[in-house]
Amino acid sequence: MNKDIKNYACPYCGEKCRSADELKEHVFQAHKGRGLPAPEGSIKLTVNKAEYVIRVAPNWTLYYLIHDKLGLTGTKQFCDQGACGSCTMIVDGKPVLSCMLLAIECGGKVIETVEGIAADGHPLIEAYVNNHAMQCGYCTPGFVVTSKALLDRHPDPTEEEIVEALAGNLCRCSTYPQHPIAVREAAGKMKAAKK
Amino acid sequence: MSTHPENQTARALELLDNLKADMSPLKEYKHIGVKGPRRIDGLAKASGQADYTMDVQVPGMLYMRFLMSPYPHAKILKMDTGKAARLAGVRNVLRFDDPEVGKEEIIGKVAGFFGSDRPLSGVAHMEGELVGAAVTADSEAIAEEALALIEIDWEERPFMLDPVAASDPAAPLTFPERYIDGNHWNRGAYDELAHGDVKKGFAAADKVIEFKFSRTANTWVGPERPCGVWKWNGDCPEIWLKHQRVHLPKSRISQWFGGIPMNKIQIHSLYQGASFGGWCQVDWNLGPLWCAALVSKRTGRPVKYIFNRREDFFGGSMDEGVYFVKVGFNKDGSITAVEATLYQVNAIWPVFNPVLHLHDNTTIPHLKGQCKSIWVNKGHTVPTRCEMLPPVLTQTMIFDRVAAELGMDPIELALKNDGAMGHDMAWVNEEKKQRGFQVRDSLKECVEKGKAEFKWDESWHKPGARKLPNGRLHGVGFTWAHEWDDSCGSGEFAIRIERTDGTASLLATGADNGVDAENTYCQIAADEIGLRLEDVHYNPQQYVGFYRMTPDSSTNMSVNGWAVRHAARILKEKILESATGPTALTQRGGYQPAFPDTSPQDLDIQDSHIFLKSDPERRMSLADFVRMAGESGCFSTDEFLGVRTAWSEPLFASSYHVQYGAYNPVNPRPRFCRQAHFMEVEVDTETGEIFVTRIVNVNDVGKAINRMSCEGQQYGGSIMGVSRAKFEEVVHDPVTGVMLNGNLIDYKIATMQDLGPVSTILVETGMGYGPYGLIGVGEDIGTVVPGLMAPAVFNAIGVRIDDFPITPDKILKALGKI
Repeated sequence: MNKDIKNYACPYCGEKCRSADELKEHVFQAHKGRGLPAPEGSIKLTVNKAEYVIRVAPNWTLYYLIHDKLGLTGTKQFCDQGACGSCTMIVDGKPVLSCMLLAIECGGKVIETVEGIAADGHPLIEAYVNNHAMQCGYCTPGFVVTSKALLDRHPDPTEEEIVEALAGNLCRCSTYPQHPIAVREAAGKMKAAKK
Repeated sequence: MSTHPENQTARALELLDNLKADMSPLKEYKHIGVKGPRRIDGLAKASGQADYTMDVQVPGMLYMRFLMSPYPHAKILKMDTGKAARLAGVRNVLRFDDPEVGKEEIIGKVAGFFGSDRPLSGVAHMEGELVGAAVTADSEAIAEEALALIEIDWEERPFMLDPVAASDPAAPLTFPERYIDGNHWNRGAYDELAHGDVKKGFAAADKVIEFKFSRTANTWVGPERPCGVWKWNGDCPEIWLKHQRVHLPKSRISQWFGGIPMNKIQIHSLYQGASFGGWCQVDWNLGPLWCAALVSKRTGRPVKYIFNRREDFFGGSMDEGVYFVKVGFNKDGSITAVEATLYQVNAIWPVFNPVLHLHDNTTIPHLKGQCKSIWVNKGHTVPTRCEMLPPVLTQTMIFDRVAAELGMDPIELALKNDGAMGHDMAWVNEEKKQRGFQVRDSLKECVEKGKAEFKWDESWHKPGARKLPNGRLHGVGFTWAHEWDDSCGSGEFAIRIERTDGTASLLATGADNGVDAENTYCQIAADEIGLRLEDVHYNPQQYVGFYRMTPDSSTNMSVNGWAVRHAARILKEKILESATGPTALTQRGGYQPAFPDTSPQDLDIQDSHIFLKSDPERRMSLADFVRMAGESGCFSTDEFLGVRTAWSEPLFASSYHVQYGAYNPVNPRPRFCRQAHFMEVEVDTETGEIFVTRIVNVNDVGKAINRMSCEGQQYGGSIMGVSRAKFEEVVHDPVTGVMLNGNLIDYKIATMQDLGPVSTILVETGMGYGPYGLIGVGEDIGTVVPGLMAPAVFNAIGVRIDDFPITPDKILKALGKI
C-alpha cells in the first residue's frame, strides 16, 4: 500500500485519499456535521445520562475511569477487591462492583453513579440524611447506589429483602440498622408519589 | 456583665474547673437533647459530594509507591534501583541511603514515643514495612511496575511473633536498632499500677483463681486508606492529609527541611474515611508524607501517596496480647484482690494497665497490674476505638469468672463491687455530693433498664443448660464498665457572627470522624447564644488554626463542648454589649446603639432575635443588627448619606478548654457514670457457629446532646464489637512471619446479616464532668462489647474459650468435637 495514501485515510469510513485537500473534501461531502471521530481504543458510554467518548487504557477499571478520569469522585474505593460494595455503580440496570470491571468492557453501557441518583432528586438521598444512615460517610454512596438498584427492580422491598440486597456492602462504622429504615422510607415516598 | 479581661478570666476559671459538676447549665434546652437535628454533613455524604483525601487530584500530580519488605526482620545490604529509574514514566526513585533522607530525623521526634525515626529505613522490623525505596511516577501502575524492578540483597535476621516468647531474656532481639537489652519497651504512666497489698488481699479471700486469656491481632480497617498529597506553592507547602488531628502533623512539618514557618503551611483535613484513632499517629503515615514533600521539591510537581489495602493492615488494635490474671474473692461476691500481667504487642502507648478499670470503678481494695509491652516483628498496635480495650476486657473476664465460680448472677456481682478507686459506694456518693452532683446510682439505673429490655431474669440460666428447639445452645452475657472521656485533651473554638445575615460560624480545625460532632457543637452554640439551629454552621475542613480535640479519645464533648459553650457565652455578652453601647467611633462620633438607653442585662437573644426582656415586642433580628455593617462595606455609604443607623463591631469570640482528666496518675476525678451491656447468642454445636441474636446497650451519657449520634455510637460500637469478637484476626505465618490475610476477603468484618437487633438505651444522670453533666460515649461500646462475647458463649456451651476471636474451630474444640 502506498504510504502517502495510508496517511490520508478518512478517520470516519477509511476511504483513502491522495492528499490532504482531497481528504478534506471527502470528509466535508461524506461526513458533514459529524463530530470528531473517536481515536483508536476509545469507548462510548453513558454516565448519568451524559454521553462520553473516551480513550481508555486496557488496565483501567471502571472505577478508575469514573473516579479518576471523569472526576466523579462520589464513588469510593474501599477494599479494591470486590469484597465491600463501596464502589458500586449501576451498569445497564444492575448493581456492579466497578473495581472489578474493566473500563474497556463498558463500551455502549449505561452507567449510573451516586451523583446521577442525587441529581435526579431520588428520595433515597433525603431518607439517608434523615435517618443518619451514615457516619464517616465513605461507604455511603455504595449503599445508596445498591439501594437504588434494589428499588428499581423492587419498589416495595421488605426489611429482609433490603438486608439481603445490602449484605455485600461493608460499613466499618456499622451503621447497618439505619439502612433498612432509610430504604423503607424512600420506598414509601416513591409509593406515595405514584398515587 | 462585661467582657472586661479580669471578669473573663474569673469566668473562664469557673468554667474550666472540670473537677466538679457543671455549676451553670442552661435552664432550658431548645436544641440540646432534641432528637433528629439534620446532619450537617448528611447531604454531601449521601450524594457523593463529600470529598476525602483519597479523592484529591491536583494538576500535574505524580504518584508515589513504596517498597515493602518481604521479610519480618531484615536489613538491606545492597540495592540496585537502576532499572526502576529507567522505566518510562518514572520521575524519581528515592532511596533510603539518599543523603537528604539520611539526615532527616524529625519524623518521630515531636511526640517522642513513635516508632521509626526516619522516613525511609534500610532495615525492616516487620514483613510489609515500607522500606528502602519510594518510586514516583506518572501513575500508580507505573510506580508499582518500577518497584518490581528493584533488586535487593537482604540480610535476613531472626524474628519473633509471640510476645511471651519474645519477653524471654534469651530471645533474639526483634528491634536491635532501638532496644538493645531486650524486647521489653515500657514507658508510660500506667505500665505499673497498684493500690493496697495484693498478698494481703489474696490471704483474706475465700477463694483464689488464676487464669490466662489472649487476644490475637485485629485491626481498624479504615475504609479510606492512609494517603496524602504534597504541593509546594513557592516556599509554602499545601498539604492534603488523612489525619484525625492535622495540627499535629502541621507541627511536625514545621520542623522539616530546616524549618518551615507554621503560617506558611496550609493543610487540608477533608472528610475522613474512618480510622478509629491511633493509626494516624503512627510514623509511617508521616514518613511517606515527608518523602512526598522531598520528591515534590525535586520534581516541581505535586505528589500523592496512597497505601494499598494490605499496607493498611500492618498494625492493629492494642488489646493484642496475652493476659495472666489472679483473683481473690469471698463467698458473698466481694472481690478482695486482683493481680494481672499483660504481655502487650507493640503498643504505641504501653500505658493502659489491665487493672486500670478495676481501679477506676470497683471497690477492690488490693490491686496490682503490670503492662509489659513487648516488641515483636509485626506492626504497631494503637488505640483502635480506644486504648481502654485491655482493661475493659480484663474486667469482663474477671467478673464473669467470679460470678460463675459463685453461681451468682453477674449483675448482682457487679452491683456488689461497684465503687471507685477501692472505695465503696458510700464514699463515691459523698464524692458526688462534694463535687456538686446529684446522687444517683448509675449502675443500678443502667442494669434495671437493661434487665427489663433484655428480659434478663427470664433469659439467664446456668452455663450450658438451655438447648433451643432448633438444636442450638442458648446463652446470655452481661458486662459493665464506667463511661470514660478522660484523656487529658485540650481544644480551642471560636465563633464569628457573619456580616450581612447574622448567621454564626464555628471556627476550629478538626477532622470529621462521622460521629456528627459538628452538629452537636452547633446545638450547644445555638442554645447558648439564642440562635436558631439553622443559623449555626460549622465547617471543620476549613483550616482556621484553632485546633480542637477530635472525636477520638471520647474526649470530644467533654473538651470541645466546654470550649464551644465558653466561646458562645463570651460572644453572647459581646453581642448584647454591642447592641446597647455606641461603637465604631468615626470622625462624627459613635453610632447610636441598636437598643439605646438599655444595658446588656436588659436584653436577651432568642430565635436569632435580640429583644428587650421587659418588652419582648422591642426586638431586632441579629441579621438586621449586623446587616448594615456588612452591606455597606466599610460603612462609607452610611457616612456618605448621613444616615446613622445601628452599627455592630466585628462579633467574634474564642475560648478553649484543657481537661484535667483521670488519665492523670493522680486520678483526681472518681467516675460516676456507668454502662451495662447484654448479649444473647445461639451456638450451633455441629458447626461451631455463633449467632448473636440480640444486644442491649445501656449507657449513662450524663446528658445526651445529640441523641441520634449517641445511639449511632451504641449500635455501631456493638456491631464492631461483635465483629472483633467473632471474626477479626490478622493471621501471620509462624514460619515466615508473613501476614496471610491483609485483605477484606480473608479478614472478615461484620455485615448487615451478622447479628440481630441492637436496642439502645440512654440514661442521663448528669454525673459527667462535661458541660451539662455529659460524658463521652463514642469509644465505650465498641471497646466493651468485644469481651462480652466470652460470657455469652460460656453461658451457652458451659466451657470457657479464652482466646479471642471466638471462632467456630475453637467452639468445636471446646466441645471436644475436633
